[in-house]
Amino acid sequence: MRSEADQSQPQTVEDEIAELERRLEVAKARLAATKTAEETLLPLTPSSPILQTQIPLGASSHHFLLLLADSALPLGSFAFSSGLESYLAHCRRASSFPAFLGLSVSSYASTTLPFVLAAHRNPADLIELDDALDAAIICTVGRRASIAQGRALLSIWDRSFRSALPANPCAATAQVLKDFSALMRPSTSTSSASNELPPASAHLGPLFGAISCLLGMTLEQTAYVFMLSHVKALLSAAVRASIFGPYHAQKVLASASVRHGIDEVVKREWNTKIEDAGQSVPVMDLWIGRHEMLYSRIFNS
Amino acid sequence: MNSPFPQSFSSPGEGHLIVHLRPPSISALSKITFQYPLKLISPSPSANQPSILVFLLTYGGGLVGGDQVYLTIDVLAGARLSIATQGYTKIFKSPERDVITRQHLHVNLYPGAGCCLLPDPVQPFAESVYEQVQDFTLVPDASLCLLDWVSAGRTARGEDWDLWGWTGRNEVWVRGRGGEDGGKKRLLLRDKVVLEGDREGVGNKGLKKKMSGLGVFGTLILKGPLVEDLASFFIDEFTALPRIGAQDFRSQERREQDSGVLLTPRQVWRQARLEQEKEDGLLWSVARVRGCTVVKFGALTVEGGRSWIGSMIKEEKSIGRHFGESATMCIR
Repeated sequence: MRSEADQSQPQTVEDEIAELERRLEVAKARLAATKTAEETLLPLTPSSPILQTQIPLGASSHHFLLLLADSALPLGSFAFSSGLESYLAHCRRASSFPAFLGLSVSSYASTTLPFVLAAHRNPADLIELDDALDAAIICTVGRRASIAQGRALLSIWDRSFRSALPANPCAATAQVLKDFSALMRPSTSTSSASNELPPASAHLGPLFGAISCLLGMTLEQTAYVFMLSHVKALLSAAVRASIFGPYHAQKVLASASVRHGIDEVVKREWNTKIEDAGQSVPVMDLWIGRHEMLYSRIFNS
Repeated sequence: MNSPFPQSFSSPGEGHLIVHLRPPSISALSKITFQYPLKLISPSPSANQPSILVFLLTYGGGLVGGDQVYLTIDVLAGARLSIATQGYTKIFKSPERDVITRQHLHVNLYPGAGCCLLPDPVQPFAESVYEQVQDFTLVPDASLCLLDWVSAGRTARGEDWDLWGWTGRNEVWVRGRGGEDGGKKRLLLRDKVVLEGDREGVGNKGLKKKMSGLGVFGTLILKGPLVEDLASFFIDEFTALPRIGAQDFRSQERREQDSGVLLTPRQVWRQARLEQEKEDGLLWSVARVRGCTVVKFGALTVEGGRSWIGSMIKEEKSIGRHFGESATMCIR
């Protein structure tokens, strides 16, 4: 590759150092990710220690954990009901929110959670993971929701989180997100015109995994918060669809069944490879896909 | 002592099909090999049929627990192949949960080639464990029509998603035609369904609840110039579906007036189909994903699903034109 003459040039040597440093950081990140993966391969206990780390509260990772778990995120999630509105229209009197909640959590975990976990374990794969998920979300309405929320999260990263991170612990991974944002820019103007596949779509799942990793959250925290946010979004949709009031929503959210439900799906998908991620509730694709057929609707999905 | 017979290249369950275009323009098989439990039959082609028909069969009409089938198909430039079955692909019960019955279909489509798979549904019996992978690698101008559907089991015997496990994965990969990205494959579509049966001792019928009363669930994947018309047809029909929850605000007078308007044959057909969809509890949706068109549908019974997909494909007619009427024999 490089000749002797090239190596004598200071610029080339500097470039090489930069390249080697980048590779060192990627390798370190990979090692760290493998270590976390190994630790967490042990069976998860029902009360997985989301907040039980030795770091004092107020450390930056806790600060960001609370930010990511905030119900304002994913930004704009209030516009989506993940099929709830369509389910109510299809099942009418036979509909039951607890039943839908269970189906939705199972379906969302089996299709998307493996991508979140994979992106957290190895953020350098973000672009490939985004592309693979783009190939796997079949339903138009579901794709729209996933991309809208993913782009919102990416902007939050760009505008807020990135600069707020204390000492950048993992510059290589941050670079991945920078590259990713760069890929996004041209696609917005040209992709719709041509038939070419966009280089990146910005689906929520992989971005959430990669950003959580950068913000110092553990793999368990990431998986739990990701699924909990989905439950919260569903509950908030249910309140706005007048299924029940906000007090009942808090009751459902606090219930042991939601907690165990999330633990169970996280455990189920912990070692699922992304090639094996798939729809576990096929009828969910029909409900979400037929959302466009509703005569009146208050949500985008 | 040397065996007088030619050496067998394939191991159990393996098969290989190669279809090429013979002048003037007849698709013909240049290779057909298979091993138990896989069986392939091709009726001798007639002069004017647009594609060669091959029946994908298994000895005994099904796959016994632990059977492995691995079929490779190459459809060479310009050739067309249609695949059919003779009845359900039955998946018999497995002795243990970790004994997995597998079927792997690996298809390569070359420039201008077409492949149409419209089989009968897979019928997983109670306590069966099945894994299916169907991957298609095609160049941008090759065409694919793939129907993949699964039933609730032997409903006449009271089975209702009593299987132990079922996974189906359909992948479409595209390969550039030389040039800058020649030879490099890119994943266009990965459609995967994972049905997990109830664990032992948990009698809560979880999977049955997840299937919400559906007796059959299917996916139709369309890609390429030969099926472009069919894909647009599905999109148009989906857009033409009546809105859910819409009400008829017309007056009685106006309604009578409107009913006197002469309908086109397509509208008459659509109205009859919509009635039938309601009766069969048929739900469907269609999406364009990265150059592929994917139709998903579910119905209360296999026959309801079969008559719907058959009616759609027959009404549009292009499959019959490009692949021959025999290509659609399983959905009639």
